[in-house]
Amino acid sequence: MFLAWNEMKNNKLRFTLIIGVLTLVSYLVFFLSGLANGLENLNKEAVDKWEAEGVILTDESDINLPQSSFERDEYDGDGASETAVLGQFNSIATSGENKANVAIFGIEEDEFIMPDVTEGESFSETGEVIADDSLKDEGFKVGDELELSSIDETLTIVGFTEDAKFNAAPVLYGTLETYQKVRYGDAAEANEDLINAYIVRADNLDDISVDDSLQLVSTQSFIENMPGYTEQNLTLTLMIYFLFIVSAVILAIFLYVLTIQKISIFGVMKAQGISNRYLSNSVIAQTFLLALFGVIVGFGLTILTGLFLPAAVPVAFNYADMALYAAILVVVSVLGALFSVQTIVKIDPLKAIGG
Amino acid sequence: MALLELKDVNKVFKSGKSEIEALKSTNFKAEAGELIAVIGPSGSGKSTFLTIAGGLQTPSNGDVLINGNNLIELKEKKRASLRLKEIGFVLQSSNLVPFLTVQQQMKLLDKVKKDNLREEQLEQMYESLGIGELLNSFPSDLSGGQRQRVAIAKALYTDPSIILADEPTASLDSDRAFEVMDMLKAATKQNKKTTIVVTHDTRLIDYCDKVYKITDGKLKLEA
Repeated sequence: MFLAWNEMKNNKLRFTLIIGVLTLVSYLVFFLSGLANGLENLNKEAVDKWEAEGVILTDESDINLPQSSFERDEYDGDGASETAVLGQFNSIATSGENKANVAIFGIEEDEFIMPDVTEGESFSETGEVIADDSLKDEGFKVGDELELSSIDETLTIVGFTEDAKFNAAPVLYGTLETYQKVRYGDAAEANEDLINAYIVRADNLDDISVDDSLQLVSTQSFIENMPGYTEQNLTLTLMIYFLFIVSAVILAIFLYVLTIQKISIFGVMKAQGISNRYLSNSVIAQTFLLALFGVIVGFGLTILTGLFLPAAVPVAFNYADMALYAAILVVVSVLGALFSVQTIVKIDPLKAIGG
Repeated sequence: MALLELKDVNKVFKSGKSEIEALKSTNFKAEAGELIAVIGPSGSGKSTFLTIAGGLQTPSNGDVLINGNNLIELKEKKRASLRLKEIGFVLQSSNLVPFLTVQQQMKLLDKVKKDNLREEQLEQMYESLGIGELLNSFPSDLSGGQRQRVAIAKALYTDPSIILADEPTASLDSDRAFEVMDMLKAATKQNKKTTIVVTHDTRLIDYCDKVYKITDGKLKLEA
């Protein structure tokens, strides 16, 4: 550490530049992880609020909620500790100048997927809805009449709830009758028993048996089958993993160049009897310090950026993930230093001192 | 027992099908308190002799004994350890680490070897070498003479029994060159060390107890 630290201290510009590059790479990693996390939440935060173990859909729906439709008496709650019915319909809601893609959830008020109201009051009549509070940022407010695209029905916002997005669309919670009226119009009464899914809580999903026309999937599997969810997550995760490799390669190249420049110095030290182990440990310690500084500054910059981002940017920092990524960045950087260690071991002190 | 002994040592370099004998069969002994010069023209085998004596390369044949330890029988790790303990190098181009101050050069040696010179011995050495004012300076801030004095301090700091100096006065004017030789002589005599100075500068031979001449790889005692 002595050699590593003093070299850094006495070559501030050179090492600050290396730390700067690592800072930018770690900043990008942290920001991408926040973006991945934020986008993931956009898709599933309404589902997470259910705190449910599984979802029952029709077998032919291919785990796609809008494509699933069955009568509520096709499942009697067998094997589940709690159940909740769900009707779901996507639309575009307009109120004056304000327009937004929304997911309308038809639910029973006394079942467990009923959200907490954070502003206004709960729905009590057909046509009343509780909206995700992200709609407030788009100008919607309690009392707004919502016109729906291609449908004659209107809805009224009576309250707001937080963290309720489904597949990136803010959710409007209403009664099952509201959903049916929106979805089936004049035929609502004829389809009053039709729902899209049962949400179930159970100690063991294996205890639940459903008809052949239905299928039970875990909540995780339900989320992963949302349109675009897995593709989006894989893309961002791949970018993060690629950045790990980039950071290792960048640091390896920098350190290799620095080591090549110092061959004669290392050679002289080896001639004096300073061991390969001490010199290698010094390079590894230096890499560790560089990576640590880079990651810490990158982390700080990311948090700072997060403070100034507009709400529309879907970034949500998960500190546990960020700590893990920081540790990986440091580890892969140290692995990158092994090229330099190999070079040091091969230095012939005789050649280095010109013998 | 001699501090350094070379027995029937030779070194042959192969280049394609041809062979060059850089050091012909050599027997050499150096006792404690001796300052020895090895002189000869460029390419005569001086550096080969010095690097074999210092354990930086192995001879083709023969034995190299340092304080009774045969370097030939040791693996590189042990040889490095023996170099650190028993040999101080003063090299032509100085052996200083550019990003460490004079004081840090010594501290580096503390990190890799215990029982170096004690604090008061160190201060005494700084004083005798005239570098007490330079402790916080980097090598780039020093003149050629100052760098060479610091290099000598560094070689002496680990209290080695043998000092091997390769053209230690090459970059110095006459006054500085004589000053460096005075220091090496004092260190040799006062602390009963063996110092071998490899040089082509014949002005230095007056300082030495023995002078060997090396010509075409053949080492011969001159005086």
